[in-house]
Amino acid sequence: MPGKLKKSVGLLLSVVLLLSLITACSSKNNKPAESASSPQASNSPSAETSESPSSEPAGIDTSKKVELQFYMLGNAPKDLAKVEAEINKMALEDLNATVKFNFTTWTDWDQKYKLLLSTGQKVDLIFTAEWTQYQQYAKKKAFLPLDDLLPKAAPVLNQFVPQDMWEAVKIDGKIYTVPATYKEYVTGGFVWREDLRQKYDLPKPVDMATFEAYLEGIKKNEPNLQPVAIGADVAAALSDAHLDIARDIVGPMPYGVFAPYSNPSQMTNYWGSAEHLEDLKLYRSWAEKGYISKNELNVKDTNQDKIVNGTAAALLGDNPTRYNQTLNNMKSLHPDWELGYHPYGLTKGYATPVHPIHNGFAIPAHSDNAERALAFYEKMVTDKRYNHLTQYGFEGVNYEVDNGYYKLIGNADTNGFLRENMQGWAWRNPEFMLFEPSYDGVKAIFDELDKIQKPDIYTGFAEDYTEYQAERAALEQVEKQYLFPLLAGQVADVEKGLATFMDKAKQAGLEKVQQGYTKQWLAYLQESGIQ
Amino acid sequence: MKTKRKGLWHELYANRILFLMLLPVLVYFLINNYAPMIGIYYAFVQFEFNTSMFNMNFVGLKNFEFLWKSGKLIELTVNTIGYNLAFIVLGNVLSISVAVLLSELKGKWFKKITQSVLFLPYFVSFVILSVIVFNLFNYEQGVLNTVLERLGAEPLDVYNKPALWIFFIIFFYLWKNFGYSMVIYLAAITGISEEYYEAARIDGANTFQRAWHITVPMLKSTFVILLLFSLGTIMKGQFDLFYQMVGNNGLLYSTTDILDTYVYRSLKVTFDMGMATAAGVYQSLFGFALIMVVNGIIRKVNKDYALF
Amino acid sequence: MKIREDSAAIWFRLLAYTVVIGGSVLCILPFILIVSASLSSNESIIREGYNIIPRDFSLEGYRIIFQVPDEVLRAYGVTTLVTVVGTALGLFLMTMAGYVLQRKDFKYRNFFSFVIYFTTLFGGGLVPYYILITEYLEFTDSMNALIWPSLMTPFLIILMRSFISSAVPDEVTESAKIDGANDFLIYYRIVLPLAIPGLATVGLFLALHYWNDWFSSAMYINSPEKYQLQFYLYNIINTSDFLRNIGAGTGIVLTEGVPTESMKMAMAIVVTGPILLLYPFIQRYFVKGLTIGAVKG
Repeated sequence: MPGKLKKSVGLLLSVVLLLSLITACSSKNNKPAESASSPQASNSPSAETSESPSSEPAGIDTSKKVELQFYMLGNAPKDLAKVEAEINKMALEDLNATVKFNFTTWTDWDQKYKLLLSTGQKVDLIFTAEWTQYQQYAKKKAFLPLDDLLPKAAPVLNQFVPQDMWEAVKIDGKIYTVPATYKEYVTGGFVWREDLRQKYDLPKPVDMATFEAYLEGIKKNEPNLQPVAIGADVAAALSDAHLDIARDIVGPMPYGVFAPYSNPSQMTNYWGSAEHLEDLKLYRSWAEKGYISKNELNVKDTNQDKIVNGTAAALLGDNPTRYNQTLNNMKSLHPDWELGYHPYGLTKGYATPVHPIHNGFAIPAHSDNAERALAFYEKMVTDKRYNHLTQYGFEGVNYEVDNGYYKLIGNADTNGFLRENMQGWAWRNPEFMLFEPSYDGVKAIFDELDKIQKPDIYTGFAEDYTEYQAERAALEQVEKQYLFPLLAGQVADVEKGLATFMDKAKQAGLEKVQQGYTKQWLAYLQESGIQ
Repeated sequence: MKTKRKGLWHELYANRILFLMLLPVLVYFLINNYAPMIGIYYAFVQFEFNTSMFNMNFVGLKNFEFLWKSGKLIELTVNTIGYNLAFIVLGNVLSISVAVLLSELKGKWFKKITQSVLFLPYFVSFVILSVIVFNLFNYEQGVLNTVLERLGAEPLDVYNKPALWIFFIIFFYLWKNFGYSMVIYLAAITGISEEYYEAARIDGANTFQRAWHITVPMLKSTFVILLLFSLGTIMKGQFDLFYQMVGNNGLLYSTTDILDTYVYRSLKVTFDMGMATAAGVYQSLFGFALIMVVNGIIRKVNKDYALF
Repeated sequence: MKIREDSAAIWFRLLAYTVVIGGSVLCILPFILIVSASLSSNESIIREGYNIIPRDFSLEGYRIIFQVPDEVLRAYGVTTLVTVVGTALGLFLMTMAGYVLQRKDFKYRNFFSFVIYFTTLFGGGLVPYYILITEYLEFTDSMNALIWPSLMTPFLIILMRSFISSAVPDEVTESAKIDGANDFLIYYRIVLPLAIPGLATVGLFLALHYWNDWFSSAMYINSPEKYQLQFYLYNIINTSDFLRNIGAGTGIVLTEGVPTESMKMAMAIVVTGPILLLYPFIQRYFVKGLTIGAVKG
């Protein structure tokens, strides 16, 4: 009771205190809530970067103890507190700093990410990726440029990351993130139930024709099994995958523009073209033949779950790592089932390893401790003690090394720190990485793809849509309303449906958006010396 | 003029305890609601990082453009208001009638249990409800089509019938929320003095008449409050309900898309504070205008029922 | 006369029973589905959907949740604390305001009602509010961030105003004033006891609001030990949503795995279970005659 009372009194007190604060603030000159915080916040880092190099050429000033705010996406591991305590012991000694590991969880993570960066929060390190819109945030100066800071605060890290990677993550000529150096492939590939393929003597899916033949065979022999699971995001799971394997698109381009990998400057408009119509008719035929569910747009299970639990037979496209996880989950429930995989790369003749932007850590513009943050991040990547602790937990408690392989102690429910439980994709260090034996299959795929690798030329492009922001937002709606049903094969008259979609899209300003994008894309190609 | 000023000070002094009792609430709203209203200015600037709101470029109404660029503003406005009107009218009719019926029932335990059960759906989140609905209606394995099949009828593709969803949306809204307003009406009925009923009984009124002539009129002031609060937010839709039920299914948007879902979808990838705020301003202005008119009418009819 | 009265009463009751029982069945069915799903194996849910009776009985969902019970138990503690403190404080402040705003001799009651009501119409949106909570109030990662945002709502204040004004006749207040009681004492000694059904209703709604809140945890809390109970449910759902929607191109594979359907449903039951008991408890205050007795006594 006293505790509760104290709380309520405290709350009331703060109410009264803050009243005076707010009224004073708003009556004076109507200062906005953030104006008070931002000038001071944006001043300090730039002051640091400009003055320090001359006064302290090597190393950084660690005389003042600081606490770093570290933000990662996803859920925190159960044993985070123990790991944090141990890291802090080391960091205090090495850098006179402690760190607070914050996790956004997956609930409203995109909202939270946006808020953290746009409201001037004191964040010192934050995860970046192309799917968290690194390019856009960097372009809008939400992060601190690291070019001058790196040699001084993190010389080892500066050397450790190859020069071409530093070049690749540059936006408008500046480095805004520290890329991960672990090389992997997240390119697509067909996934299918191999045991059923053998049972009914179906062709091995290597391209769209054989994939379709496989689906046809499944539909005929296993009428209760859904031949292929697509899920609600038909644009990514169906259209993008299809354009990748069948039409060799350079990357998942927005607004229906199309550039082939082999000749990226040859831009065309895919939406409304003959090819588009042809593809939509194909999807329609899939729906008619019952290869996909009539209600694919509302499906609630993940595609992978459907494979694992035997309600679907194939996936149009998945990356090698996730295929491997699906395989393992399936095997644990149904040891006698088999799952086949064929990377698109083997058919297309080339595969692109992940772009360095794919995983990284940036220092937000409002950070007060940029140097220390970078120095700390260097430790996370290049110091084996830090790295292993934050990737695998405590050796002997959470994991053990068995024959060079990672081995979890206990099981996933009881162990408080699983492998890469901090979602430490960005600070993976290939020299320190430990893998489970089941990962050997993925490595074999990677080795195969290594032989045909070519660079990713799409991800480095940073679109600036300020000019056509309104049209872009309107287009987003039109796409969901008129194109998605076509993709899911739910519109009987495909030609008419496509015409309606194109009409609405043009009304929303499709041409302006496409022109703006195309112009920037061509400029990017020229700038980066691609053709 | 002079008397008025004297009136204020006099009032403040005479009712100082009343003012003090009101103060914490006023302070709370000042901090919690009025202070952040400064942010409405975001609707008129081009958002930028690393600079204060008042240093951003003033762009006039540019942030509002996306609302009509898709050519859907009128449709969205009509949908949003239409659904909310249906919710208000049907919701109140349903919860008043069930509350009246319940209040007339005898049997302590029966009453207790049914009241609790009717309130249950309020605890089911829309996320979970949408999963249940999908289980009922999905084409291949849904309960509905399994039953239809057994009866020898044609299966029904519910997720491709936009017209049906008008009813589903309204039904599930009522299902989930009527318990909430029912509890309010039940509490209001409890407050009606027993003397009125006694008098009516002596006059020979039967149960129907008592309910119709005493209970229902006594709920008027409660109804007006519920009405004014729902009218003020008539342009703000039940985002969760629509978003969870319909999701990515563009086939149903013609009848189920409301402003909130539209704004969410449009801005999910375009992280622009300005446009998000602009949409909110549009909704607020509409609600504000409406409420001023309605409250004015209520004041004319009966001053006691007006909110302000 | 007597006969008509009787037949009307019978018809009325028949109608009432039909509607109430029919409605109750509709309301309880989905709940049974959820309970049943929480007791089914994950595979049977994915393969065959929901059923009234579990097709393949399994306690798997509950086992996963309670394998390491600290998280859920701690979340119960947080939610209970926040609900109790928030409801008590909010109710106290809101009844005071409601009482003042309904006093006919309080000249500015309409003006202040409008000031409070106006906030339902206009708001600055999430960004300024986030700045207020994190920068000005500095509530990040504290219990205050869970209590403060839901402390009062205009709707409940105005509702309270209406409950008090109908439960407390003006004469009662006036006679007390003549007896020399000050306004606070009148409120405390006379108005509060009379307004018990209203208090119970508003208190119930406020408590439900606190209990069902997860957004505050999602936005302002960084330490898992301060998450509200409801947040665990939402985070489970959102984690699987995220995994469902994330494209193959991101290459994301979570070692923690995908939360299973049966686990989701079990969590839904764990999270809503206790609060379901609140309403039956509150019902005892919905008793007629309370008012009259109190005034006369």
